[in-house]
Amino acid sequence: MNKKSTLNQDSADNPKECCSEESRRKFIVVSTLGVSAVCGIFPIASGITTILDPVKKSAGNQAKVSWTKVAPLQNLTDDGKPAKFEVILEQVRDAWTTYKNVPVGAVYLTRKGDEVKAFNLKCPHLGCAVDFRSKSNDYFCPCHNSTFGLDGSVADANSPSPRGMDTMDTKVEDGVVWIRFQQYRPNIAEKIPLS
Amino acid sequence: MNRFLDWLDDRSGIRGLVKEALYEKVPGGARWRYVWGSCLTFAFFTQVVTGTLLWMSYSPSAQTAWESVYFIQYQVWGGWFLRGVHHYMAQAMIVLLVLHLMQVMIDGAYKAPRELNFWFGIALMGVTLALSLTGYLLPWDQKGFWATAVATNLVAEVPFVGPMLQKIIVGGVEYGHQTITRFFAFHAGILPAALIGLVVGHIYLFRKHGIHVKEPRPKRDSYFWPDQILKDGVACLAVMLAVIVLTLYFKGAPLGPPADPSNEFPARPEWYFLFLFQLLKYVPAFWGAIIIPLALGLLIFIQPFIGASRKGHQFNIGFWWCLLAGAAGLTFLAFSEDQANSNHVAAVREADWQAQRVIQIAEEEGIPPTGAVTLLRQDHENRGRRIFAAHCSSCHRYNGHDGRGYSVEEDPSAPEMAGFASKEWLTKLLNYEHYTSLEYFGGTAFKDGTMAKKVLKKFDQEEQELLPEVALLLSDLANLPYQEPLSEEKKENLMDIFYDDLVCIDCHDIDSEGEGSAPDLTGYGSKKWMIDFIINPEHERFYGKKNDRMPCFGRDNKLSFEEIEIVVDWIRSRPAGK
Repeated sequence: MNKKSTLNQDSADNPKECCSEESRRKFIVVSTLGVSAVCGIFPIASGITTILDPVKKSAGNQAKVSWTKVAPLQNLTDDGKPAKFEVILEQVRDAWTTYKNVPVGAVYLTRKGDEVKAFNLKCPHLGCAVDFRSKSNDYFCPCHNSTFGLDGSVADANSPSPRGMDTMDTKVEDGVVWIRFQQYRPNIAEKIPLS
Repeated sequence: MNRFLDWLDDRSGIRGLVKEALYEKVPGGARWRYVWGSCLTFAFFTQVVTGTLLWMSYSPSAQTAWESVYFIQYQVWGGWFLRGVHHYMAQAMIVLLVLHLMQVMIDGAYKAPRELNFWFGIALMGVTLALSLTGYLLPWDQKGFWATAVATNLVAEVPFVGPMLQKIIVGGVEYGHQTITRFFAFHAGILPAALIGLVVGHIYLFRKHGIHVKEPRPKRDSYFWPDQILKDGVACLAVMLAVIVLTLYFKGAPLGPPADPSNEFPARPEWYFLFLFQLLKYVPAFWGAIIIPLALGLLIFIQPFIGASRKGHQFNIGFWWCLLAGAAGLTFLAFSEDQANSNHVAAVREADWQAQRVIQIAEEEGIPPTGAVTLLRQDHENRGRRIFAAHCSSCHRYNGHDGRGYSVEEDPSAPEMAGFASKEWLTKLLNYEHYTSLEYFGGTAFKDGTMAKKVLKKFDQEEQELLPEVALLLSDLANLPYQEPLSEEKKENLMDIFYDDLVCIDCHDIDSEGEGSAPDLTGYGSKKWMIDFIINPEHERFYGKKNDRMPCFGRDNKLSFEEIEIVVDWIRSRPAGK
């Protein structure tokens, strides 16, 4: 390193090399800026991926929603009246912890013969819990007054909800109702799954 | 752009500030020896940024600290690299501190009028060391846990208030949630804040007095910008590259098995504290942790005054060289003693194994809310090794060690258990030389028993050649997971040897109701046979009254049925040498 300093010294002391002195200075300024920029960016660059991790993981990772047992079929009346059930997932992985038997939400189930429909309890507007009103035989969200018919569709033109209640896949096996529990992005007309 | 800058300058005076900062005079020209302060600032800046990023995924509690660090290391995108940079930059900081300090000492930059700044520097060194110490615990792995236990026990040596101080730092008597939350608050809050405050003072005082130059000046004066900054930047770049290389080479920072107070681990601090650790082998804790550091601290404090004279300055430089040499010597001793200690080497290897194992299980099954330590405690593989080490290894060996890789001082007094009932194990057993060696029954009464003296020793050449066939037969009964079963035809042929050629059946039963005087070999080496044997070797089926010191683990409730099953599964799971 000392060699370099002496070199610089020489050229600086020699008045004939005025132009090379100018370009030398330019070179120093540019390289100083470059080096400083690299050093300044390095810390954040070394860890920026960790912040982006959730975005990366959710990309193209939507198909796999597993079936979950909800209730025995016999617990549903055959008249189409909805009943509310907790959804308990066998296993939920939350970052570093894996929980067993976790309540993750609730559904309304309605039955016609052997056909079962499931509606997410969450209002597709902004996520409040929707009530079933047996008097008027419809669903009503107590937050912003969205109303839904028994089939889950928006019942009132003034309902703020942009879409009907969210349905999900159901099946009946050995007298037990299974669903594929899935949440969707709120407050848009399309059903886009969250994952 | 210019108009905006004019406006900003008018309102803030920013141009003057930048000018002030950049056009600091560097008397005697820019020099490489001035780069260390900037490198330290760069290192600290890196620690603040990477630390904050780590903070975004770290959870300080006894059940989530290790788990979230595991998450960062193995699940989060690029998390291992981030951890590595934070870890190795912390070590680089220690090295840079020493370089900065020695430059200041040698150039005499600590003397009047810069005494105050020297003290700021020493305080900064203390804060940096405290940051390392507190950060070491945060992953809540075995290494951090046990080393911190030692460090906090030293706090109790402080006169009068020691035990109280220890309780405050640990957050109680036991290490747990409160210890982590407190250490984390120190590591990510109090200490960085203190460091920033001290650095501001340090830089202010540095600017007030200017750069201290050793005469004669090597060159014309120049300015901080750009000449010195370029040198500083290149040095920072070198530090950065070193940290990146270390991170890539070691694949990030190490993560040991989760902290477990019931699972012993040899406590060792980070390498730059090893000299203190080694010192405590020679002097009482009170001297090593209180008196000596206090005395040295006091001496360092008055060094600016000692340095006023030429002789004093030389003494100061000599003092630091001696201190460094002493620390280096002690560090070397600590390393070489550990390397020469086979138990320490085994303990480190065992911890590596546990770490690998728990990470493997965590990946397969996930971590329960009770924490990763329960994964390891319930793991049969891990428990098998530990049960063997605790209950079997005082007589038996496993591949010559205690089951976990620790050597045992005494000679074995019962057979080697690795590869028990395998073809190779039995072939050796049925050889008189091996039978009476320490590897098998050499340490027991059976060395002079009927099998040794009246059977194996008496076989002629032709009979001896049949013994490996018997080994094959018995080994097949064991039904070991790593051995192919024999064909029925082959088995019948071998049975003939057992019955007719060598008449083993005279003493040993196989599938017969005889009253053999020697152990019943029906299902020999199978899971059930081994469990029954370990429950009660004195049973008539086995040794009966001839049993030589083998405890009746099940009959006398020394081990539960589950524990016996676990250790049997473990012994039977793999061939010898693995």
